[in-house]
Amino acid sequence: MAAEERLRRTMMFVPGNNPAMIKDAGIFGADSIMFDLEDAVSLAEKDAARYLIYEALQTVDYGDAELVVRINGLDTPFYQNDIKAMVKAGIDVIRLPKVESAEMIHTLETLVAEAEQTFGREIGTTHLMAAIESARGVVNANEIAQASDRMIGIALSAEDYTTDMKTHRYPDGQELLYARNVILHAARAAGIAAFDTVFTDLNDEAGFYRETELIHQLGFDGKSLINPRQIDMVNQVYQPTQKEILTAQNVIAAIEAARQKGSGVIAMNGQMVDRPVVLRAERVMRLAKANHLVDSEGNYIEK
Amino acid sequence: MTEVIRDIYLTNAQQKKEWAAFLADLGLANFSEQELGGIEAIIGLYDDDRLVGTGAIAGQIIKYVAVCDRGAETKGARFNRVITALENRLATLGRFHHFVFTKPRYIASFEHIGFRLLAESDLGAILEKGSPDVTQYLADLPKPTSEMQRVAAVVINANPFTNGHRYLVTQAARENERVYVFVVTQDASLFHTSERLDLVKAGLADLPNVVVVGGGDYMVSYLTFPAYFMPADASVIDYQTTLDARLFKNLIAPACHITTRYVGDEPQSRTTAIYNATLARELAPEIKLVVVPRLQTADHTGVISARTVRQAIAAGKRHDWVDLVPATTDQWLQDHLASLQERIRKGQEIHGN
Amino acid sequence: MEIKQTAIAGTLESSDVQIMLSQSHDGVTFDLVSDVAKQFDDAIKATITQVLAAYDVHNVLVKVVDKGALDMVIRARAITAVQRALDLADEPNWEVL
Repeated sequence: MAAEERLRRTMMFVPGNNPAMIKDAGIFGADSIMFDLEDAVSLAEKDAARYLIYEALQTVDYGDAELVVRINGLDTPFYQNDIKAMVKAGIDVIRLPKVESAEMIHTLETLVAEAEQTFGREIGTTHLMAAIESARGVVNANEIAQASDRMIGIALSAEDYTTDMKTHRYPDGQELLYARNVILHAARAAGIAAFDTVFTDLNDEAGFYRETELIHQLGFDGKSLINPRQIDMVNQVYQPTQKEILTAQNVIAAIEAARQKGSGVIAMNGQMVDRPVVLRAERVMRLAKANHLVDSEGNYIEK
Repeated sequence: MTEVIRDIYLTNAQQKKEWAAFLADLGLANFSEQELGGIEAIIGLYDDDRLVGTGAIAGQIIKYVAVCDRGAETKGARFNRVITALENRLATLGRFHHFVFTKPRYIASFEHIGFRLLAESDLGAILEKGSPDVTQYLADLPKPTSEMQRVAAVVINANPFTNGHRYLVTQAARENERVYVFVVTQDASLFHTSERLDLVKAGLADLPNVVVVGGGDYMVSYLTFPAYFMPADASVIDYQTTLDARLFKNLIAPACHITTRYVGDEPQSRTTAIYNATLARELAPEIKLVVVPRLQTADHTGVISARTVRQAIAAGKRHDWVDLVPATTDQWLQDHLASLQERIRKGQEIHGN
Repeated sequence: MEIKQTAIAGTLESSDVQIMLSQSHDGVTFDLVSDVAKQFDDAIKATITQVLAAYDVHNVLVKVVDKGALDMVIRARAITAVQRALDLADEPNWEVL
């Protein structure tokens, strides 16, 4: 797995042919920015969007955000040129839509490696992620999540998935429960990130919070978003409590103490601190810093 | 951003009703079935399910543009979005030159996005955008030499070219050093544009000071000007002919130093009478209008008209057309009679002007 | 190279630019309408001219409607327009990007 640990709470969709939104995409503080060459771009503008994103990636400063591009699917005439252009542009992550098998990821990986070679980019530096949008995708989620060392995550895409399941989206999300759990388990087993689907009704704030709390509770890394307004709402749901921060700070203090003693064993409160606990503490501290809940000395900031 | 462009189909009665109501709200209520019939595609801009903008394509004309700015992020954004969508649609059809006819108060909005004003009156305006445009059309016209003082113009449809047309041009040729004959570009006629142009050239080849040129998109038959945005009680003919006359006077005439325009009189047609009166009013004083009485038939039973020729073609009676047209047209009619009759059988209208 | 067909790229929306390329025989000529101040005209023309030169296009009529586009947007739209005009949309010229 290629997933270095980083926050991926918010993945903001940006239509690939809209200069105003592309230019400003970095200012909202999304953890990941996903430029869309697929559904948000009409057939006649596929080439236009590809070159616009290419130029934007050369010139616009998106800060620390992870840059993702959703390319057109394997079965479209735009697929290969999308890959070439985005690899040449140095994109962080290519997101393939409608993934149903590990083989689709293998095909993508081969083309990405070829493009890296052609354009002189270090082999293996372009990461991949898969969007699961069908029953077949869900059934094969495990092999998809483990299909490549380049994989950093898998995402549920609910619109197509619910259509494939002969249903549609409901406010309580029961229709997505199985897919969410399968995708989450596949991601965790493969050691990569799990992204939840978009929530499209911008006027239903309560519904958005309800869904975000649910996927936070399940264990998702974060959520795909269609509007920058949703970023703060997700971050709020994902922010750690004061107690969680205190515990995390203690774990990190214990690690530091062990390091100073030259001890290979980290202990706290007479218990061994094992690796998952360390990882969780690090994650809590990343979240705390991202939400500005601690100052530079580590003091909790009351809000 | 949740606003999306979608196709609107007038064949869907419910959609047509919604579309017409939206336009009516914005003051566009003049729907003639003839005008709606020419529409090839309509797009709508929707904010969720609310129609907030629309526009249509008919040939190379953008029509029925209407936008509601209520609830828009910035003023004009929806208008620009609708025009972009229409222009991209035209581009996929291989059309890169288009016109819009609109109310005078929207001229600035269109100029702001690259349209150029061709003519305006109190009631309406024509603008164009794209390539090749009027600048290129005018640049390609053969220019008179500097010694030529008297330059005239005749605009004809020539559907087909008759002795009547020839008589009119001959009058002008006698009184001027150069005569431009502009043949209207319009494939709605029984004779195609290239056929009409060829017949005019052939029928005037013996007159050395006559230059026959295609009218491009700028000698639009005034009857094709859209009128959907006019109030029902307005004089549509007046609006159409005024714009036509001003376009000729302000753009075409100066490029070729035209000082006189010749027209045939038409005692039986009220429309043509209004057209000629408008031309006289609009072209003065810079350009003189000369109205030439129509040439009578040899037996003095009436004037020569292209319509009579078309009816003779339909009936297959050469006897009825041979005296009305030059030998060049006659020969062509004999050679192509079968295919012309086929066009008529397929529904080509022959009774109009 | 000669323009094979008239082509258009871009939109009339804010921060964008619409570029139309058509055949011409007398060099690169511009017809420019812009929302922003006149002093940016030369910069817009320079960016487009640069892209055209990279595709070896030296005779073309360029019609531009600028809505306050950044240089990178102008470049992207010019690349799209020229590839469409040269009928390269399916096999882009990767060296130019």
